[in-house]
Amino acid sequence: MKKVVLFIVSVTVLFSNDLDYNASIVASYGDNYDFYSYSENRLDLNIFYNDIQAWVQYEYSNPPEVGFPINDIRKFRIEYEKDNFTLKLGDIYEIWGRGLAFNQIDDQTTNYDNGTRGLYFGYTNGGLSISHLNGNSDIWYFGNDLRVPYFKNSHSMYGNQAQYDWDIFSIGLTQLHSNETHQKYFGEAYVNHELNGIYGSMMLANADLFLEYVDKKSTEKENLFPGSPFDTLKNGYGVYGNLNIYLGNWGLTTEYKRYVFDRGHGDFTADEYGNRIGFQMMPTLGREQNTTLLGRVVHPYNYNDERGVQLSLTGPLPFGLTLLTQYAHLSRNDTWQSITTFDWENKHIDGFLPGSNESSLPFWENYQEISGFALDDNFYFRFGRGNNKDVMKTIRFFDGQELSIKENWVYTDSVEWQDEWFYTDSSLIGIDTTKYKLESKMWQEVSSITYPFELSYALNNGYSFKIGFEYQERKKKNVSTGNATTYNASDSSWTLVNPTNPDSFFVIYETQYTDWNSEKIKTQFNRMITFSLSKASKWSVTINHDQSNAFDGPKTVDPYYNPLEALIFGDLKYFTGKRDRSAPPRFGQQRWVSAELALNLTASQRLSIMYGSIQGGLYCSNGICRQIAPFNDGIKLTYSAIF
Amino acid sequence: MKNILIVTLLCFNVLLFAKENESGNLIPDLKIKLLNGKTTSIYDLLEDGPLMIDFWATWCKPCKLVMKHLDTYHQTYSENGFKVLMINQDTPRSIGKVKSFIRSKNHQFIVALDPNQKIAKKLNGLIMPTLILVAQDGTIKWRHQGYMPGEEVEIENQIKEILGLNTEAESKDS
Repeated sequence: MKKVVLFIVSVTVLFSNDLDYNASIVASYGDNYDFYSYSENRLDLNIFYNDIQAWVQYEYSNPPEVGFPINDIRKFRIEYEKDNFTLKLGDIYEIWGRGLAFNQIDDQTTNYDNGTRGLYFGYTNGGLSISHLNGNSDIWYFGNDLRVPYFKNSHSMYGNQAQYDWDIFSIGLTQLHSNETHQKYFGEAYVNHELNGIYGSMMLANADLFLEYVDKKSTEKENLFPGSPFDTLKNGYGVYGNLNIYLGNWGLTTEYKRYVFDRGHGDFTADEYGNRIGFQMMPTLGREQNTTLLGRVVHPYNYNDERGVQLSLTGPLPFGLTLLTQYAHLSRNDTWQSITTFDWENKHIDGFLPGSNESSLPFWENYQEISGFALDDNFYFRFGRGNNKDVMKTIRFFDGQELSIKENWVYTDSVEWQDEWFYTDSSLIGIDTTKYKLESKMWQEVSSITYPFELSYALNNGYSFKIGFEYQERKKKNVSTGNATTYNASDSSWTLVNPTNPDSFFVIYETQYTDWNSEKIKTQFNRMITFSLSKASKWSVTINHDQSNAFDGPKTVDPYYNPLEALIFGDLKYFTGKRDRSAPPRFGQQRWVSAELALNLTASQRLSIMYGSIQGGLYCSNGICRQIAPFNDGIKLTYSAIF
Repeated sequence: MKNILIVTLLCFNVLLFAKENESGNLIPDLKIKLLNGKTTSIYDLLEDGPLMIDFWATWCKPCKLVMKHLDTYHQTYSENGFKVLMINQDTPRSIGKVKSFIRSKNHQFIVALDPNQKIAKKLNGLIMPTLILVAQDGTIKWRHQGYMPGEEVEIENQIKEILGLNTEAESKDS
């Protein structure tokens, strides 16, 4: 309560003429059929007084859309800046280079917050700037619950940065130390991290270059006796490079990354620690997608173990059009061989480029887009094409040789009885050993092709409309190939499909999609249609229709048939009372319909009301992805204002 | 219930205060890192005249629609001392593509980088696009969130008004 009183006093002080301030409010409320309700309200207040700046964020959320309930001052910071010195106290958010060592963000939509509550000191003189910060951070990660985080990693840290800018050159040195209390599935681990990095950039008229390298060492305290030493746990490093070349209005962006903070053939869990820490938010080298369906096929980037390249070319075409093309290829740093069912052996990929072998979990992404204005800039259109292929995991992966052993016997004695000869003895005269190729592979891959299309037209009377359409074909399958299947632990060998003929190879594709009747279905077709009508500076109405034909997980049933769905589907029976609303019709399933009304109350105040359903799934922002829960037959209200 | 009352009181305080100060408050003199690597400050950019600040990102669709108009205004009213400052919020994930994007469009306005939203948080520009029109003396005259096609008329009217040029509305009245 004291904090609240303090906060009210702070607000009241705003009436003083000596202060400048700005504030923003975001209040949102949602409730739906699946008892997925939330109430999230945040007030941000910035106060400026001579050389002092203060920021307070008050949150009243019970519960928020994602995260923990809170009714308190969530964030605060006081800054003092005079001449060459800067002092900050409170919640610090800094970024060094491109974030290989340190990049702090507070992303409310993915509930990722790696800020530090502590002290920051900075000094600048000409091209030189140095800074020091220290404090504590609690970084939360999601477990099975899609809304409430489960794993907490606490960091007690300090860091130093020095940067020197000279003409077209810039160089920086970074150092970060953190004592982490790492939450595992059961219990905790105490890990120390030491990161040292260097970055530099150069800007020319027709090109610019950025390079960053960070070295990381982790040590673990395995017992808690005072004075007991830390043992080396993991060593790793990260490299990132970005070269841009400009020719006229055309620009080619090339990026390279190599993150080697750990290695693994599958996903990393909370029990694997000592690798990349939560402060390290690095470039992913995948396209930042801005359409719904493309956003759902984002690669699960691995900051611990991934290398890759990305090329992007942008430039103008005739008739005012703009072309964008992009290509990315990523993979793990090693290929992996399953020696047995549970034992995996790695082999480092030679050279610098990513691998294409399925056991290195490669990912390819390709996107092209043409956009432009026409008709006195009143007409805007955008047409894209994106395809990707992602090897998600390997279930088994053996590619080698097996020894075939054949014994040669001869009969050495025989007897005759009733005109027939019977062998009575035999003798081993030799053993033939031959090697044959043995292959037993099984992996899961996802591939998709997506066509996003959008056009908008603004009339001269302030009205405008927008039509968006996205079409996607997606395949998710398990691929089995080779001449052997499972590993037989009892005789330490792979089980040949045809023991008499090792040359019997097979390829089997098993789709992972099922339709409404739980039948296997080869391709998932997704369609998203958006129609929007707006009156400039006043309001806009948007209707979304999302449709899919297949599931790759548990079947989701829409238990309630709402009037908006009936209206969009043109179901007259619903409105004439002939439709059983407690038993939604089959054609309404696997469709998600929503309508949103956005009102500009003033230039700086907006209110939006959304009714309907939103399909859950993967949501990504800033390289952080999380699964969002479906929102069924509910209402969302959002009010935002800046002052 | 007590908590709801407190939040309501706070919101009311801020709303009331905002209404009483329609003349606008002063923008802080924040340091700005430009796309060309140089550093400047908001008040340095205000030396010649008013400034329109817009927060954007390469992946923000409405931002791309409004920035075409803002570039036109930047060039049209530059002789009146008016400037447009586009503060980019791309993270390290896509910040390498910002310069290519700007060059492909041949935009002439001033572009600044704010990769971890330091400036955006201080000026409440986290919702993109957010437009802030600042008079030469540093007074914030107009704020606007979001963009719908057709709103460029209102944006231009605000620019004309701050430059002391006849707005469309005034022309109709006369």
